[in-house]
Amino acid sequence: MTLSGLLLLATLATPLAMVGLCLLPAFRCRVFGLLAVAPLPGLATALVAPGGTLLLAPAPFRLVLALDAPGALLLGGAALLWSAAGLYARAYMREETGRAGFAIWWLLTMAGSLGVFVVADMTSFYLMFSLVSLSAYGLVMHESSARAERAGFFYIALALLGEACLLFGFVLLATAGPVGNQLIADAVSTLDASPWRAATLTLLILGFGLKMGLAPLHVWMPLAHPVAPMPASAVLSGIVVKAGVIGLIRFLPFGTPLADWGGALMALGLATAFYGVAIGITQQHPKTVLAYSTVSQMGLVAAIAGAGLAIGDTGVTGLLAYYALHHMLVKGALFLGVGVIAVTGSARRLPVLAVMTVMALSLAGLPFTSGALAKYAAKAPFGDGLAATLATLSAAGSALLMLHFLRLVASTSKAAPEESAPTGMALPFAATALASLVAGWALLGPATGYTLANVLAPAALWAASWPILLGGALAVLLFGFGRRLPRVPEGDVVVLAERAAPLVRALGAGMERLDAVLRRWPIAGLSLVALVLALAGALSLAP
Amino acid sequence: MAASSPAGYLLVLALVVPVIGLLGMSVTALIGLRRVEFVAFPVLVAGLAVAGAIATTVAETGEALTYVVGGWAPPLGLALRADGVSAVMLAMAALVVALVALNARALFCADDATPDGRRAFAFWSLLMGLWSALNLVLVGEDLFNLFVALELLTFAAVPLVCLDGRAATLEAALRYLVFALIGSALYLLGTALLYGRYGTLDIGTLRELTQPDLATHAAVALMIGGLMAKAALFPLHIWLPPAHAGAPAPASAVLSALVVKAPFFLIVRLWFDVLPGPPSLPAAQVLAGLGAAAILICSVVALRQERLKLMIAYSTVAQIGYLFLMFRLTAEPGVPAWQTIGWTGGMLQLVSHAFAKAAMFLAAGMIAEALGHDRIAELAGAGRAAPVSVFAFGLAGLSLMGLPPSGGFVAKLLLLNAATLAGAWWIAAVISVGGLLAAAYVTRVLKRAMATPPAPLATRPVALSRELTALTLALVAVALGLVPLQPFELLAIGRP
Repeated sequence: MTLSGLLLLATLATPLAMVGLCLLPAFRCRVFGLLAVAPLPGLATALVAPGGTLLLAPAPFRLVLALDAPGALLLGGAALLWSAAGLYARAYMREETGRAGFAIWWLLTMAGSLGVFVVADMTSFYLMFSLVSLSAYGLVMHESSARAERAGFFYIALALLGEACLLFGFVLLATAGPVGNQLIADAVSTLDASPWRAATLTLLILGFGLKMGLAPLHVWMPLAHPVAPMPASAVLSGIVVKAGVIGLIRFLPFGTPLADWGGALMALGLATAFYGVAIGITQQHPKTVLAYSTVSQMGLVAAIAGAGLAIGDTGVTGLLAYYALHHMLVKGALFLGVGVIAVTGSARRLPVLAVMTVMALSLAGLPFTSGALAKYAAKAPFGDGLAATLATLSAAGSALLMLHFLRLVASTSKAAPEESAPTGMALPFAATALASLVAGWALLGPATGYTLANVLAPAALWAASWPILLGGALAVLLFGFGRRLPRVPEGDVVVLAERAAPLVRALGAGMERLDAVLRRWPIAGLSLVALVLALAGALSLAP
Repeated sequence: MAASSPAGYLLVLALVVPVIGLLGMSVTALIGLRRVEFVAFPVLVAGLAVAGAIATTVAETGEALTYVVGGWAPPLGLALRADGVSAVMLAMAALVVALVALNARALFCADDATPDGRRAFAFWSLLMGLWSALNLVLVGEDLFNLFVALELLTFAAVPLVCLDGRAATLEAALRYLVFALIGSALYLLGTALLYGRYGTLDIGTLRELTQPDLATHAAVALMIGGLMAKAALFPLHIWLPPAHAGAPAPASAVLSALVVKAPFFLIVRLWFDVLPGPPSLPAAQVLAGLGAAAILICSVVALRQERLKLMIAYSTVAQIGYLFLMFRLTAEPGVPAWQTIGWTGGMLQLVSHAFAKAAMFLAAGMIAEALGHDRIAELAGAGRAAPVSVFAFGLAGLSLMGLPPSGGFVAKLLLLNAATLAGAWWIAAVISVGGLLAAAYVTRVLKRAMATPPAPLATRPVALSRELTALTLALVAVALGLVPLQPFELLAIGRP
């Protein structure tokens, strides 16, 4: 086994082995302190092993681990944020009971979320995707309040719906190719000739879009992300949603131009990008605003994917991964920062707020931040039509939403003026923020092919700046007239879904009554006779 | 066909070993043994070895095992035959019976002279009788011989339902008995029609003879109708929920995992081995339609149950529905059914459901023993009182929901695959929705069980060794998820 193979295996095996060791009570007591260590093999893999592959099980199972360039970007970012959030959790949840249970869900989610970036065959991908999707339920439900219950219900219901869509999509994809477990790339290459191409693409976009929170299936996100403990929110919003992004990267056939499908995905994505902002500015809770910002940002990612699909550009996978990496670290830093600010007194808050401002505006593409680089790189696939204008305007929306967030978060602290956050929280926050900048600059060339001269040109700087100024102007309006905005509940359209609950219950009761009727003797006897007759008749019909 | 295979005697052993146990139990008192279970365990080991030997022989030789009773070849005499599917099911039955027996030991271990001892005697002897009858269903080749096997199976299964002698379980057992008898009558009528038309009841001979005429179709419809009643296919599940919910947990496990599979297996035999020509698509649609209704309606009803065991029983009715989808999904023009992906998917569904459901009933039994009740609303604290059982319940649930890694997942994948190939989109939709509903009823229980009780509970300790039997069954269901995603050669062995 080569070193890269070994590292790929260790990426997956380390968190899973730690879950296994939790059977030992002595380890279970300590596991919480070790959370930051578990993703380190993943980080090493991302740095050392791009291009590596490992055949875990030979044909007919054919379980294959492999790390390509987009996978390496996302794996590295995810491992970094998992590690920082693990460190942060030690300080943040120091006095909580039930930490061991939380640690197990944490490690399982971690294994799945790192796993989706390094598996190359269909079965393993589904396995990893399910693992991250379903284990995150434990993180959402950790606080076991009524609010968490409701969030958990919608989270798991929609996650399972997404799983069902994906499974059927995968089956369609696999059925079009040869029998057995195929590599994802091979399966996707058969999609062109597949008789079920439309159904396959619909199901895949639905499944992955659900994970990314594309409207109107985003409802679980503003419920689930705020309700989890702070470090868990950071990984849910930063990393777990990226399982949907890697899905689009791996499964959309970027090799052939599909104008209709690309256009549709772009429209869906841009609509989500603006919808997230529109609902987000009516929210009063900083974490909820951040969740809506994730909805909006993932909408933009979907739009980039759609643009790439429309023109048939395989290079867009690198852009998607680069953008997702930027969002991963920045959103992670923002969630961690909300917790830091909450325990920082007014006298010591300025440096924290400064970092938060840079991070928040990075999402809107503030010059010199990773956001500016990512947005610059993502422009090319859009060309220069309406879609490009809308994509740029979405940055103004992000600026507006983030200024709203900053205003909320600055006024939430209840800490005494001289109090400061413990190092265990401040350090991971600062490190993640710094990492977003370093990674953005260091990886610009390798991931996107652009040079510093491109992004530092005055035209590029102006293109990055004016949406922020526009957003600032809109924010002034919002601060002045925001009170007149309607108060939209968290999860917006979910309220409509909840109105249907009595109907669903009535349907269930109806089925129960039907069952009771069918199980009465005379009815059961009649059914038996009728079935025999029907069967005899059907058999006699020509086949 | 005429000659026995060299290892054909194994088939006889599969039938006789449990009968030896049954006979041995009735004389235990005479030879000074005061507990029938002492007889049961050596017999279980022997039966497990026989089933294992049959499975390995069939897998290694790649041919069906045959035994011609008394050297009289059919149509004069009787033949026993185990092809790939039979061998797999024999092994499955032996494994489930053995693990359930390990779990039941502590429940049915009283001294022979006490009232509880009579209950213990009834349980062990019925279990042996049931096992022998089940094996006969799996290896029988003669339709009347199979009728006898089916009756033996019913008569062993019905008293298991009312072992505790309460009025409610007696009523459930009677309901089961009467409906099963109606089913038997229909089956017998069909057999008579076939005999009148062709003069033989040997399946191997009938396969060559049957013609697509009214008599044959009427006969097969009658037989399948009767078997559907015994398999509790919706809407003929009148008897199953009270019977499976009322029986002691180990008995429920055997009834739900194995007994309902026997009539289904015979429907498969009739469908593929007796019916002439390529299977009729309209009839396949009827069976698959009923299966789909079972999945959708009974899963919802399961979701609304207040008692854990009733919920599991309704889940069984729903899961039986999946099996009947197979008739539509194996109908691929020009391809023998057993080489389709639907055949492998259906059979894998059958086997993984057997293990998962046995695990689930045993786990539910342990949880009920620990808490003293099985009301779903009051399950809080079960995760603390019987953690291994709750874990086993969750693992088994994974298979029922069709989530990876589990046998249920691979089965669902293969069935979806087959539905796509067959262009039966409605079946694909039903399978997907069924998985969601199963997830709902399993997580509903798990969530309650993992919750912290409002007040400290007085729970009774349960033996870890008994919990481990449930866990083992669940782990087998999970391990079935490791079979490769393609038509499985073992399941096609010995098909014509």
